[in-house]
Amino acid sequence: MFNRIFALLIRYQNISFGSFPRLMSIFYWPTVQILFWGFFTNFFMSNESYGIWSSLNIILSAVVLWDVLFRGQLGLTMSFFEELWSRNLPNLFITPIKDFEIVIGLVLISFIRTCIGLTPAIFFANYFFNFHLFELGFYLSFFFFNLIIVGWSIGFLVSGLVLRYGHAFEELAWAVIFIILPFSCVYYPLNSLPETVQGIAQILPTVHIFESMRLILIERMFIFSNFLIIVFLNAFYLFLSILFFLKMLKVARDRGLLINQGE
Amino acid sequence: MIRSSVKTVNLSKKYDDINILNDISITLPENGIFGILGKNGAGKTTFLAMLMGLVTPTNGEIYIFEESLRKKKYEILSKINFQSPYVELPKKMTVIQNLIFYARLYNVHDYNTQISRLTLDLDVKGLLSKKYGTLSSGQKTRVNLCKALLNKPKLLLLDEPTASLDVSTSEFVRQYIIDYQRINKSTIIITSHDLVEIEKMCSYLVVLDNGNIFYNGDLKNLIKKNNYSSLKDLFK
Repeated sequence: MFNRIFALLIRYQNISFGSFPRLMSIFYWPTVQILFWGFFTNFFMSNESYGIWSSLNIILSAVVLWDVLFRGQLGLTMSFFEELWSRNLPNLFITPIKDFEIVIGLVLISFIRTCIGLTPAIFFANYFFNFHLFELGFYLSFFFFNLIIVGWSIGFLVSGLVLRYGHAFEELAWAVIFIILPFSCVYYPLNSLPETVQGIAQILPTVHIFESMRLILIERMFIFSNFLIIVFLNAFYLFLSILFFLKMLKVARDRGLLINQGE
Repeated sequence: MIRSSVKTVNLSKKYDDINILNDISITLPENGIFGILGKNGAGKTTFLAMLMGLVTPTNGEIYIFEESLRKKKYEILSKINFQSPYVELPKKMTVIQNLIFYARLYNVHDYNTQISRLTLDLDVKGLLSKKYGTLSSGQKTRVNLCKALLNKPKLLLLDEPTASLDVSTSEFVRQYIIDYQRINKSTIIITSHDLVEIEKMCSYLVVLDNGNIFYNGDLKNLIKKNNYSSLKDLFK
């Protein structure tokens, strides 16, 4: 009996500790949770003046908008992973389909999946909590598109890594979003973060998006320079991530990885 | 002058420092069934994968129907297709969804007629509404063959087309491929471990050994020249 249990332990230990991403996944959840709730509590302890309903509205807006990013990224990576899981890559890549057509296809399916996925959530938030996401008006579309673009950037990065380094990196599809969550200032302002982290956090477009969202909901104002920063950072990261994905496709062809992918 | 279907010039492939294929130069004419033989690790699958642009050669050039694969990849890919028991179609999609998906990728205009004809010929009409993942290996092979013939390929690459099939399904698939080639005058390249199959189907043979060409020529000549009783003697 002990031998068999020991054999299982060795097997599962190989899975859990056998690759760097999987090893990381053991550590990041508790760390991310502590960081996130720590910053969140700090913010609310120091801003007791916010009414409960306006706080709820800000939090729900942030939840829905954050989910745009999450759905956008998952919609892209999961669609690509489907091809890997079903051992379909060789069949796909011997058709006359061009690499950029795959990029466009993934972006479009991610957009459709995100819209479909979020519709019931917005409906329930409106119905139960008198939540007014549409108070954001034109800015809602602006935030939506920019957050989904962040999701696509992460999606192409993760898909490229999985294509190049294999299935151990699939963990990243779920993890990356939550690694950047505490630093994205989704539920609390930038100044809730320690000063040293604030500078680094500002390279994330998500920080500027959620700062702008709070500014609109609380102060009813929008700063144009934020708009430019968001657009610039997003365009830069999307460009880089697509370039990375295309480069990984090239590397996969060089190293014969397209014929060896599977479950 | 006879046109070539596949021509490789000093084709080599290296992964890190390991040579998979060394300086492979062959010319295969159009219209015929050609066999690629070799032990495991001889480089057969890598060779096929390079002909389809799935693997980039380390050195050398590939010409398909006398056009450079490097320069005219997408035009060439629309004229070729591939089937292997080791490469599956999306499992969660039904057979008909898969066939329509690939017909669109190959830009087959009248795909309903084409699918209807192929599924009838290959006896998979009854499977159209079934999920691909639920099919037996014999059924999958026939559906894969449907997929491989959707674009009426001028060059069809088959990687061990009858591997893991029972005798009657193997015979059906083999005969279908022979008939298809004869009627359409296409070029078919087959890799197989089954020497009897290669002997039955192919007139021309390329034998690979450790990434090098061991033999490249007429199958009958190989047997006659070496006084083999059959192709099996080659690997004795």
